[in-house]
Amino acid sequence: MADIELVDTSLRDGNQSLWGATGLTTAHILQIAPVMDRVGFRALDFTSSTHMGISVRTHKEDPWELIRLTHAAAPHTPLQFIGSGLRFISWEPVHPDLIRLAYDRLVVAGMSRFVVLDPMHDMEAVLRTARMLRRAGAREIIAALTYTISAVHTDDFYAGLAGQMAACPDIDRVYVKDPAGLLTPEAARTLIPAVRVRLGEAVLALGDDDPPESGSLRRNTKPLELHSHCTIGLSPLTCLAAADLGVAALHTACGSLANGTSLPNAERVVANLRELGHTVDIDDRLLARVAGYFTDLALAESLPAGQPREYDASFLRHQVAGGVMTTTRRQLDELGLGDRFGAVMDEVSRVRAELGYPIMVTPFPQIVCGQALYNVLGNERYQHVSDQAIRYVLGRFGRPTAAVDPDVADRILSRPRARELTAEPPPASPAELRRRLPARISDEEFLLRATMPAGEVDAMLAAGPARRHYNPGLKPVLDLLAGLRERPGMSGLVIDKPGFRLELREGTRQ
Amino acid sequence: MRRVLIANRGEIAVRVVRTCRALGVETVLTVAGADRDAVPARLADAVAPIGASYLDADAVVRAALAAGADAVHPGYGFLAESPRLARACDAAGLVFIGPTAEQLGAVGDKLAARDRATAAGLPVVPGGAVGSRAEATRLADQIGWPVLVKAAGGGGGRGLRAVAEPAQLDAAIERATAEAEAAFGDPRLYLERLVTSGRHVEVQLLGDGERVICLGDRDCSVQRRYQKLLEEAPAPLLDDGLRSGIRRAAVAFGRHLGYRGLGTVEFLVDARRGDFYFLEMNARIQVEHPVTEAISGLDLVAEQIAVAEGGPLRLAQDDVRLAGHAIECRINAEDPGQGFRPSPGTVTRAVFPAGPGIRVDTHVQAGSAVPPGYDSLLAKLIVTGRDRAQALARLRGALARCEIEGVATTAALHAALAADPEFGRGGADTGYLARFLARRAGTAVRADVTDKKAAAAGARRG
Repeated sequence: MADIELVDTSLRDGNQSLWGATGLTTAHILQIAPVMDRVGFRALDFTSSTHMGISVRTHKEDPWELIRLTHAAAPHTPLQFIGSGLRFISWEPVHPDLIRLAYDRLVVAGMSRFVVLDPMHDMEAVLRTARMLRRAGAREIIAALTYTISAVHTDDFYAGLAGQMAACPDIDRVYVKDPAGLLTPEAARTLIPAVRVRLGEAVLALGDDDPPESGSLRRNTKPLELHSHCTIGLSPLTCLAAADLGVAALHTACGSLANGTSLPNAERVVANLRELGHTVDIDDRLLARVAGYFTDLALAESLPAGQPREYDASFLRHQVAGGVMTTTRRQLDELGLGDRFGAVMDEVSRVRAELGYPIMVTPFPQIVCGQALYNVLGNERYQHVSDQAIRYVLGRFGRPTAAVDPDVADRILSRPRARELTAEPPPASPAELRRRLPARISDEEFLLRATMPAGEVDAMLAAGPARRHYNPGLKPVLDLLAGLRERPGMSGLVIDKPGFRLELREGTRQ
Repeated sequence: MRRVLIANRGEIAVRVVRTCRALGVETVLTVAGADRDAVPARLADAVAPIGASYLDADAVVRAALAAGADAVHPGYGFLAESPRLARACDAAGLVFIGPTAEQLGAVGDKLAARDRATAAGLPVVPGGAVGSRAEATRLADQIGWPVLVKAAGGGGGRGLRAVAEPAQLDAAIERATAEAEAAFGDPRLYLERLVTSGRHVEVQLLGDGERVICLGDRDCSVQRRYQKLLEEAPAPLLDDGLRSGIRRAAVAFGRHLGYRGLGTVEFLVDARRGDFYFLEMNARIQVEHPVTEAISGLDLVAEQIAVAEGGPLRLAQDDVRLAGHAIECRINAEDPGQGFRPSPGTVTRAVFPAGPGIRVDTHVQAGSAVPPGYDSLLAKLIVTGRDRAQALARLRGALARCEIEGVATTAALHAALAADPEFGRGGADTGYLARFLARRAGTAVRADVTDKKAAAAGARRG
């Protein structure tokens, strides 16, 4: 029996998995942040460069200001940033110096915990990014073992990576990242011990004074966390198995932002952990308040609430994570082609195989799903190919885990556009970008302008400071008032319900 | 901090409940007598009856422990600046949401505060402690007449007595000693030169025991017998150099004390000569804190709780950005037509204005009792505009929509103030309100006469 911590993912991954990353504004987050700070979470999975871009584009709100204000409102709970170290906001790979600047500014703004993630498991890239983060001042760096099912992704494969992570002084913790929710309790029972043993050994080898007794393993091990999505209903059970296997922290979400393709519901996980004899230092009253807030918000804003998922065996083929699946469905709906969703998902499995089984984490699901959409909607497969897919085949995102199907590689690289992209200059350095952008802008504004269309940044600045308060209970009244404002000809208003009558009439005051 | 005991009543109790709720902290409110039916008691998560008085520090600590609270918020007034309560909280393992007992002692005693301010390099009004009548006469002759006799343990405008000439001094000292003994349990007095024309400007400080930052200034010159009636932020028409000098002095004092929590350093300002003098420091949240919140965008109670929990300041001086202008009116249950006599009773109707830039902090609704024996503050109306002119325009509109019936209030007086051109110009001194009231009384009499004449004329015609 152990003390288990929770990392809350509502604000970042919950929002991304269930609400296309567009559901939460600055006001929505600031209103509940002080309460979340007191629940007892180990960290809040808070933002990514994608979310920062959405703040600007969709909400016309300054993402840097959001980080600063949230850190001020929740100073006791580390805010987590997730990134691959390859790109920032835009989908194109960017210059390492630009990433370095972004990390520096993120730490200054209030981010203290950083996920290091390389979907190809290129350890050199992981170690390089971790070092860069440490220099930027990151307080906790947690490396991802991205889980998938394939012939190469065995327990030994992950244990080997864990050994390298354990030996790296710039990595403090490791987590099993299961973006598609594929990890069964059975698989966890072999994977987690295999990984934990290597995380422990390496620490002991680094010169810990304690003798390597079995009882001291937990203390000497770099802590392991589990982040497993609910996509096919496995993760609530897998989390419980992981707790028994010595995982230090579980990633969960609150209220309407839990379940569905998001993370397991924190309230249920806490209750189940305690039922099994574990201790969880979480303030239940405040956790219920946070959950209730997101549930009220979802109702007020007509956002879908996560529901427990049924097991779906076919999912093991396409492995598309929650956020991308939601986005793909939305794109199809917008095109009036919602009925083709099944066909696109089948095509996703095929494209993924042809592209060498990339692990379905950003940016690869976007590339694979985008290609699947082109293939289903076009006259012919691979007639249209995105620049990102070409760059993928060119190896710009690293070496694919397995070889790309030779026919598909030929088809893609024989395009004139492929030749143009081959000749593409390397990403511009910050100094070069500075020359192209307006003079005397802050580093924060520079990072936005370097990676986003100028019009979107201009529109954000023109919109002024974001609202800081939100009350889901007021939404119906505010909607009513907004509706009334659009009907200037009205001279009266009557609201009638049992036990209540409000009449407003135009006229003179008595 | 999971549960806070609020040892207060009235609008400040409501104010503290509001922030605690936003932070997810439970509230337990102490209630004495009929206050258990009042609005604050209904808003708090729980109430803790504490007998007849809000002034019993031991009862407060007992109530906090019984309620399972881990902290005590004292509000303002009552025990807010009581080193005894701070010490009792420490002894019981409770967090006192305020400065340390030592800091409360250092600034609560006016003489000690003067000495500390002098040590920190702040200018003070010429004067000093007086142990005997002879000493008082000697000191008064030395600093110049008229003088102000102050109780060393006094505060909030109580225990002050102006003396114009030597012949009145003996009697004044005698009465002041007796009053100070009765009101504060401390007969010590001191004398200061009475600065007849000046402005009352104060600086809001926030400290964590190591760092101290300034959250801007406020002007509280609209006073009646040292009781503030209206406050604004920032202080209008203050020369930039003078303003920064005052703010620097306040921060220097806070640093000298190693101050923790919210505190206000009050200054007497001679705007024309560009001089300022330290008056006193209030080691608590102030009634007028909302005007600072309005122009800084901060929640001062939240910041106060954050440092009380032992955390460092959540913002640096550069993070404090002040914008716009805010004015607060204290709507009291007092009758300005009867020398501001308190008007207890029952509020039969209470309609408060709402709209952009308008905030109302109140504990009153229709049916609320206004008991005698407590502070008569019913509500604070706070308006904010991008500049003073817009704030004033909003204030006039808001006051016109404010309706309180059942008790006499100062609302109409505020409406008259807001319409007064002299107040509109800004930068009024502490003598302004008395002059305004005298002028208004004259106008009222003349209006009355005119009405009677008109009535008489009408009667003749009828």
